[in-house]
Amino acid sequence: MKKHLNRRQFGTALLGAGAATLASPAIFGLNAVAQIRRGDELVVGIWGGAQERITRQHIVRPLEEKHGVKINYVLGGTPERRARAYQERGRPSFDLLYLNIFESRQAVKDGVTQAPALDRVPNAKFLYEPAKLGGYGVAFNPVTIVYDKRKGTVTSWKDLWKPEWKGRIAWPSYPGAQGTAGLLMAAQVWGGSERNVDVGFQKIRELKPFAAIQGSQDQLYTMFDQGVADISIEFGSFTRSYAETRNANIEIANPVEGQALAQNVACPTVGTTKQALVEAFVDLHLGEACQLAYAREIYYSPTVSNLTIPADLRPKLVLGDDVKKLVDFDWDYVISQQTAWSSRFNREIAG
Amino acid sequence: MTRDRVWLGVLLSVPATAWLAVAFAAPLVVVALLSLQETADPFAALSLVPSFKQFADILGDRYFLGIIAETILLGLGVTVGAVVLGYPLAMWLAGLPQRWRSVAFAVVLIPLLTNVVVRSLGIVLLLAPDGLFNGFMRPFGLARPQGYVFTHFAVAIALIQVFLPFMVLSLYDSLANLDGRLKEAAASLGASRARIFFAVTLPLSLQGLRAGVTIVFLLSSTAYVSATILGGKKVWTTGMIVWQEALQNLNAPTAAALAMIMLAWGIGFAFLAERVVRRFSPWLAPDRPRRASLALPAALERVLVRAADMSGQALWLALLALGILLLLFPLMLVAVQSFNDVPQASVAGFRAFTFKWYAAVFEVGAYLRAFEISVQLAAASVACALALALPAAFVLVRFGYPGRGAVQAFWMLPLALPHVAIGVGMLRLLQWYIAIPPFMGLLLVHVVLIVPFAISLLRSSVLQLDTALEQAAASLGANPVRVFFLIVLPNLAPGLAVAGIIGFLISFGEVTVTSFLTTARLTTLPVRIYAEASFSLEPTVHAVSTLLILATVALLAIVNRFVKLDRVWAK
Repeated sequence: MKKHLNRRQFGTALLGAGAATLASPAIFGLNAVAQIRRGDELVVGIWGGAQERITRQHIVRPLEEKHGVKINYVLGGTPERRARAYQERGRPSFDLLYLNIFESRQAVKDGVTQAPALDRVPNAKFLYEPAKLGGYGVAFNPVTIVYDKRKGTVTSWKDLWKPEWKGRIAWPSYPGAQGTAGLLMAAQVWGGSERNVDVGFQKIRELKPFAAIQGSQDQLYTMFDQGVADISIEFGSFTRSYAETRNANIEIANPVEGQALAQNVACPTVGTTKQALVEAFVDLHLGEACQLAYAREIYYSPTVSNLTIPADLRPKLVLGDDVKKLVDFDWDYVISQQTAWSSRFNREIAG
Repeated sequence: MTRDRVWLGVLLSVPATAWLAVAFAAPLVVVALLSLQETADPFAALSLVPSFKQFADILGDRYFLGIIAETILLGLGVTVGAVVLGYPLAMWLAGLPQRWRSVAFAVVLIPLLTNVVVRSLGIVLLLAPDGLFNGFMRPFGLARPQGYVFTHFAVAIALIQVFLPFMVLSLYDSLANLDGRLKEAAASLGASRARIFFAVTLPLSLQGLRAGVTIVFLLSSTAYVSATILGGKKVWTTGMIVWQEALQNLNAPTAAALAMIMLAWGIGFAFLAERVVRRFSPWLAPDRPRRASLALPAALERVLVRAADMSGQALWLALLALGILLLLFPLMLVAVQSFNDVPQASVAGFRAFTFKWYAAVFEVGAYLRAFEISVQLAAASVACALALALPAAFVLVRFGYPGRGAVQAFWMLPLALPHVAIGVGMLRLLQWYIAIPPFMGLLLVHVVLIVPFAISLLRSSVLQLDTALEQAAASLGANPVRVFFLIVLPNLAPGLAVAGIIGFLISFGEVTVTSFLTTARLTTLPVRIYAEASFSLEPTVHAVSTLLILATVALLAIVNRFVKLDRVWAK
């Protein structure tokens, strides 16, 4: 074996290396997009509790068994996850993160996460329209009025202004999915819109004094338990679990104007090197097993239209025509106003 | 002040200063820079041209000024509450026989061992319309139909409960060191119990009080989780605004400016506490020219003593009982709830007995792994923090040099900056931060969070060392190293133990900064619990808390066998 290269061999080697260098981006790109390699590791930012449990069972386990990959969860709340993803734009430590509806569309616009690639995720072709924005919607979790049915009935968002609820309302804090829905629906049903929320603020002020301002679903349920408040604006899904297990007096309204759209969205990051694995993950999340488990265990409504829902579950979910009735907003604009509105909310409503 | 002592002082100041310079000064500078940005763009490079727009906006806005005033008042109220409940508890603890001490310590620590969300839920149930407190107030005609929850009172109770242990442990060391003969002498001269308290106990525990008051005020005025849960958004604190602006609105400049304002008043308060205590304890600096004695005005003191004598023992016992009840309350709640077969943790009332939450703790496995990481991290952080804080404490007591005041202020800064702001600062440095191994990274930050507590607590311990003992040892031929290990260290044992326990619990419970920095491989227990709570809290958390409390009792019992939680000569 010769120890030294002669000049010609050196030249050939150099040429080869050059060609390889030129070709390499294409090869890396291909790997990132099209192949799942054994030993790949995926970092997913997601909520804890039931969602962690369900996704581990129906996504992580099958993927790890099939491809010999490792899927790591970074558990936490949405705000920290989002703040971190923004900081890491372009060189993400997450491959996939879960966000709420308004954060997800903004994140795509800000170049933090990817717009959905419907052709590369087989189950994505069944997605309802609103679930195709800002990433892949994995669960509809609409916001509506929830109330104590012994104290009155609710068929419209305007019913909040009926005298029987005066002083008994737990208004949801803004920002947040519930508070945003409350503000925008108030504006909408009284003749305004997201571009004219003045009327919303005005009408909400009319409802004062509030029994309380609620900052989370757990807090609201304690208020219901303790008789602090009789009515509020909350996720229908989880309130249904609450009504079934803890407080049969609580009803989830289906107002004529529709429920306010909210959804959990799977958002692949811009710059992930595990594109194929991320898409396989999302595909399983949109698959029947995971969607039905969501529906069965936490009453999250499916975002895909190709499922057969068991009869006992149907009345508890938002399906078919009700999905079309879900009220969607111009989230780009809503997000751009968030700081101003939250400052206004804190001063005029919560204070 | 000899030249050698100056240099020794500087040398001993190096470890703590260097660590903070590496791990804390960087995020602090980022926060300071952020506060000087004119606009909030999460992607823009930081402008180096300072703009005071954020400060002008905040300070020119009655709404913000109102919240700042509200927060400071809340902090002061909590501090006063903690002092009033803390003294009886600390004196009770210091007077207990040795064998009961580990259990008593565990009682004091229970709130710190219970997750903040769980604790706050407990207070909600306590103050709810049909809760215990309303029932108690009913005979006096003070029951409120909506209960006492979601009020400033509720937030103050929650904060007193969690910060009371810091006050008690700060006072404990001073009180345990108190020479019982002084009280006997006072009593033999005819002083009543109240008079002994005001003339002997209080002045001699002022150093502990200073540490306690500073810690409690700073912690309570930066708190936001309890305020959010118990204030029901009717109570606003600056900590809540910082969190909302920084995370929900991605408006870091406003958040940073508010954090800097909080930092300023925190430093102001610490400085004031230091000054006041120094003026009230002239014997600590006998070489300094004495100013006019700053004891309480005689008339006021007479009134206070008279009132205390009249209400006397009954009031004292009532306060002690109240303090213990408040500390034990979460224990009752978590113990009962951990066996309760309910769908969510927030359900009041017992439904059916179950072991399933305990099974879940061990089944899922992730809890155990997170627990293991938390313990390792807390232990490593405490070891580093004590090693840094001990020399620093000696500097503050024994080695003066020009500029020491500024160094001391720097050491205390991490206490006054809200944790959310540290988190936001760390986020901007994330690309450097993730280059170091995750465990090292969290260790760096956790030590920063513990060091101010450790310095503050150890300082009062060092101050109370009897230098005569060291001189005696030296005169008998012991070299400084021998003196340190045979005399100084054993005499500091209770102080070190207390600082160690508090440090451990701070690291073990930290969630605000850690949740920004956690990775898939390194999730601590509180971050895990927080992640669950972000969806819906199940009583698994209560099972975890119950196990923690039991483990702490056992651990303290063992520690107590080997390291006396007493000073060696104390009886």
